[in-house]
Amino acid sequence: MDEPLHELEAELKALRPRDPSLRLAAHIERELAQEAPLASVRPRYTTATNLGSWQWLGWPAVAAALAVLAAVGFEMLTRRAETPAIRPEAPVVATSDPVAPAAAGLYRPVSAASVLYDLKDEGAVTLEDDQPARQARYRFVDTYTWKNPANNASVKWSVPRDEVRVVPVRFN
Amino acid sequence: MEAAHVPASWKDWFDAHGPKLLLCARLWTRSLADAEDVVQEAFVRYWRHQRDLPGDPRALLVTSVRRAALDLARRESRRALREERAAQDDAEHGVFFAPQPGDDAERRREIEAALQRLSVEQREVLVLKIWQELTFEQIGESLGIPPNTAASRYRYALGALRKELKPLCHG
Repeated sequence: MDEPLHELEAELKALRPRDPSLRLAAHIERELAQEAPLASVRPRYTTATNLGSWQWLGWPAVAAALAVLAAVGFEMLTRRAETPAIRPEAPVVATSDPVAPAAAGLYRPVSAASVLYDLKDEGAVTLEDDQPARQARYRFVDTYTWKNPANNASVKWSVPRDEVRVVPVRFN
Repeated sequence: MEAAHVPASWKDWFDAHGPKLLLCARLWTRSLADAEDVVQEAFVRYWRHQRDLPGDPRALLVTSVRRAALDLARRESRRALREERAAQDDAEHGVFFAPQPGDDAERRREIEAALQRLSVEQREVLVLKIWQELTFEQIGESLGIPPNTAASRYRYALGALRKELKPLCHG
């Protein structure tokens, strides 16, 4: 930038923006003294990673999962009682390698991927402040992989995720 | 650049940054009263819900002020009152800048007039850069434009002002 523009820039910087009125400070003080409206703290979008977005599953799903776990546990206990004990031919964990037991639990994340498999425009909605917005639902499958370098075992976890995006729109 | 840490008291923060925010709000509103309304809305929202967010609060507040100003402009029912207040404000006070002891009032008014003749795009970048002290990156984020565009608008704005204003004679 040339010299005259630098001078102009300095001249502009020397100007001080006018102060807000006392009325504004009083209004802010009054508003901050009031209780915050609950509606304004609601996030504008949610993802399925929020606990709240899984509420549709509800307690019946939790109860069903517990019942399945209990049934599987009972079945395993019954089989163990019926089957004669078999002495393992080799120890489950090799004691000759002192590193192995410590490393057995070391799973390290090796990859994470998110695949968008569906995108649906859910149309126009109105926000709390009456602002028009458009809502879109993105459906992903997130896949995470962990690997245990000690024994090369891997664990892969895939979970579906819905993301609802609410984007304010303007009609000019 | 001046640090923009958030003090415990809203009054301290507002004393330091309120005038700059108000100047930004004037970019997108028709009157000083409207500008104060949008600053109030943005600041209260920021202080209640956003002050613990990481990052520079000034850029966040500029974006918030701009959004509030655009919302306000859409509310047609306020138009008559707004125009009445605008005429009153501009007659009573300077538009953008506070008078300072020993300053050249005529020169200040010339600058204000020249600023108002700039295109909106150039004026908003200039104000955000000079008085809000944002980087071109932050300006780009606030206005939804690339940082390079913000930088070139800034240079064009300074060039346009240079053409309009006589160089300041010292001494």
